[in-house]
Amino acid sequence: MLMFSYLMATGITTGAFYALVALGIVIVYKSTEVVNLAHGELFMVGGMLAYTCYVMFGIPYLPSLLLAVAGAFVVGIITERVAYRSVLKHGLASVLVATIGVSFILKGIARHIWGGKGDYLTFPPIVSPEPLQFGNIMIMSQQLVVLLAAIVVMVGLGIFFKRTRAGKWMQATASNPKAATLCGLRIDRIYMYTFGVGAAVAGAAGVLMSPLTLLYPDVGFVLFIKGMAAAVLGGLTSIPGAVLGGLLLGLAEQLAAGYLHSSIQDVVAFLIIMLALIFLPTGLLGPRGLRKI
Amino acid sequence: MKRLGSTICAAVAMTAAIATGSAQAADVDGVTATEIRVGTFGPLTGPVYMYGKLSMNGVEVFFNKLNEQGGIHGRKLVLVREDDLCKPEGAIAAVKKLVHQHKVFGIIGGACSNPTLAARPEIEKAGVPFHVFAAVADGIVDPPATNIYTTQLTASIESRAQIQWALDRGAKKLAIVAQHDAWGRARYEPMLKDFKARGLQVVADEEVTVDQNDGTAQALRLKAAGADAIMLLGYPKAAAVLIRDSIKIGYKPLWVGQTAIQDLPALQGLIGINGALGDFVSITTVPGHPDNPQYAEWRKRLKDTFPNDELSVFNLMGVAAAEVFAKVLDAAGKDLTREKFLAAYNTIDNFKSSIYPGPITCKGKHQCNQSPAFVKLENNNNVVFAGTVTLK
Repeated sequence: MLMFSYLMATGITTGAFYALVALGIVIVYKSTEVVNLAHGELFMVGGMLAYTCYVMFGIPYLPSLLLAVAGAFVVGIITERVAYRSVLKHGLASVLVATIGVSFILKGIARHIWGGKGDYLTFPPIVSPEPLQFGNIMIMSQQLVVLLAAIVVMVGLGIFFKRTRAGKWMQATASNPKAATLCGLRIDRIYMYTFGVGAAVAGAAGVLMSPLTLLYPDVGFVLFIKGMAAAVLGGLTSIPGAVLGGLLLGLAEQLAAGYLHSSIQDVVAFLIIMLALIFLPTGLLGPRGLRKI
Repeated sequence: MKRLGSTICAAVAMTAAIATGSAQAADVDGVTATEIRVGTFGPLTGPVYMYGKLSMNGVEVFFNKLNEQGGIHGRKLVLVREDDLCKPEGAIAAVKKLVHQHKVFGIIGGACSNPTLAARPEIEKAGVPFHVFAAVADGIVDPPATNIYTTQLTASIESRAQIQWALDRGAKKLAIVAQHDAWGRARYEPMLKDFKARGLQVVADEEVTVDQNDGTAQALRLKAAGADAIMLLGYPKAAAVLIRDSIKIGYKPLWVGQTAIQDLPALQGLIGINGALGDFVSITTVPGHPDNPQYAEWRKRLKDTFPNDELSVFNLMGVAAAEVFAKVLDAAGKDLTREKFLAAYNTIDNFKSSIYPGPITCKGKHQCNQSPAFVKLENNNNVVFAGTVTLK
């Protein structure tokens, strides 16, 4: 029973990691119908910027976090300019290839700037690194911070898309770009800000998660794959779906590794992507009607 | 008349000397009257660039120091780098380029095991002297090739030493946690063989990945199996995550690491929990933390040449291998040829390196480093020598 409790608790907290990454993927996809394959690297950029501000320059934690998020937002906008707007006329496949290019460029820059400082960098947690006791199990306190952050970001984005004018513009643009243009919306700007917001979420995730995932130029790739699996499972356009998908993925990984064997822990994400694409192409909470993309 | 004779003799002697020097330069790839061109290969980019790039930086600062002192027999050492991306095809291409395009005298390099292993036939065919600075696969020097030597501990030596350390400390139930990539398998398979040879049973055999973000499931399985000593065949991130999550579930076995996790203060920093490494030891090629005063010279030299770098174990591995390489070059004499250089390895007998923990002996063997030493951490940041093992 103790093992089951630990696996469930760890599944939920690891699932929160994946949910946070998935949220950024969903935001961009929801508006632009593009999966930003450099999303994992935006996560890495957020973490590295926070490391630079906090550890290297000694800026206090909160301003460091805000600067990292702002920096990631700017990199997201640059990504939109370079890898989306300039190649969109050649089709979505070109956009995907361009985002892969951005991913490699960001990793290369990171290796150049932070590469000589050790194989992994550590960013201090916002709370004590010691585990906390809940009943008969222990949980890392930073994992709870990430879980809380995932919930806050999910609720915040829900409010943003439902209640704010910018959110509604983004939804309108995603739903019908031509109609949105006819209504006077500047969809190029909306796409730009969408990439920026997606990157800012990735940046925030990078700062909060890096005490647990550690920081290195390639940290983003595996998390992107897991986040993508969570997003596909939840429904690529659904914000609650991203969180649900992340939590289910985290639980599936832990239970499989704990009760079957640790060697299949990483395979679970890929299995979920494949099974979801076959049996649930719109995901658990995605739109019911299939849309051709 | 006598003076004229002396002048003519001197002129003839000088001409002969220059001619000999020119012949030498023309005959031996990478060697001129003023320099020796040495190649290196390993990952300069990609996820494990630090094994290549940082080790090469170490080699370069050692060469720079030698060059400031006049080089070896008056020749300066020039390092030529090639990126193998830690891929077999990359290593083969890098070796070909170093040998045929850059025409290097010898190679000091090889950071990733499988790529280095893949490049071995090309290196043997070219006959170029090759000194391994970081790769650990046994197959690189076993069976021996006449032109390949290593001063790095090899995977099977380390795996056997890990088991021996645990047994010497009275451990009864030994478990393995391993990465099952090429690097991990190079250690995992010799370890399983050694378990079998000793008639020991592995009580739990778990897997981790390089990018592992949580190790709770593995820790729970190890605890359930009652393992009292864990042979850890993983990189620092996997080790950090696993130890952190073991502490989380209240599980504190003896952890026995290997040379991929020899920067213990860095590992402690990755885990972040006070006293996390109280029951952890690791095999080392560098018996002290890079921040220790004994490495002050290398720290300064590295900073002067590569301002973005902080001195790391990888840098010191490069320095250590370069020191032995230079010792062999020196022993080969002024009239340098590849044959003389390779023969000179036989003069390296109980050489006290300034970095490696044990003596280096290449006399009669191509695996010159047979001294697995262990380190542990005290007070979260003080690396101390923990002891050695006698391999049975």
